[in-house]
Amino acid sequence: MLTCHQVAEEATEYMEGAGARTRRLRVWAHLRVCPNCREYLRQLSRTIGLARRALAPPPAAEVEDELAAIFAAHGKGAAE
Amino acid sequence: MAAEAVLVARLRANDQAAFRELVRARHGRLLRLAGAFCRNRASAEEVVQETWLAVITGLHGFSGEAPLAAWINGILVNKAKTRAVRDGRMVNFSDLARQESEGDAFEPERFLPDGHWAEQHRPWDALTPEREAGDRELLAGVGEALDKLPPAQRAVVLLRDVEGLESPAICQALGISDANLRVLLHRARVKLRDAADRMVRG
Ligand SMILES: [Zn+2]
Repeated sequence: MLTCHQVAEEATEYMEGAGARTRRLRVWAHLRVCPNCREYLRQLSRTIGLARRALAPPPAAEVEDELAAIFAAHGKGAAE
Repeated sequence: MAAEAVLVARLRANDQAAFRELVRARHGRLLRLAGAFCRNRASAEEVVQETWLAVITGLHGFSGEAPLAAWINGILVNKAKTRAVRDGRMVNFSDLARQESEGDAFEPERFLPDGHWAEQHRPWDALTPEREAGDRELLAGVGEALDKLPPAQRAVVLLRDVEGLESPAICQALGISDANLRVLLHRARVKLRDAADRMVRG
């Protein structure tokens, strides 16, 4: 039986569907009987969802204005 | 996808509001991604600026085969790499990968000598689907946790989990092996999960 430590180390490999089949089977067998590791992997997978939705600071107003001005100027140039 | 087709059509029609919408949606994420490739904030900002210029001039050539965000990200990664070469300091992600893979992914004290967890992972019951989608404080906190990761871990998790690229494309973009990628991704996810765990429990 793999230990929790081994399962934790291999969690990403397992979740990505990588690694040898026999190894994956051993991780799966551990998860079946270990609620603590199951919860850990569930949280890792929910973390991916949070990362996808992570917010970044919006651009400063002057940066946005400058880019919008370049966009407008380019549009005019293309139309002429 | 339909909403995106509308946005692209508006951009091509030189719709200012559409462009501002795009800048507001993407600028911060681009800056975050550029930060993983660049040594300092100023050069990351320049790379993002160059990317926007390329987007503006290239919009009519955008095929629409890939999502708009993926197309813009591809431009950014190329600009960031070109810039690094020009500055005479090619970011060597495979060296970084080696450095960032040293040591343990988990502090040893997180496990008992017999290999069991020393901690009990309590379910994230406080993280409702509503919070997951719309808790701005939490989602901004996750963003800050992303910014704190070492650069190679950050680049990998941003490209894979945040922007949704496939692994082979990431390995090619960063010049790292599949094994490197998984080690970096794992370490990044472990740290983000710990940060999220603290925030979810408040
Ligand atoms: Zn376990």
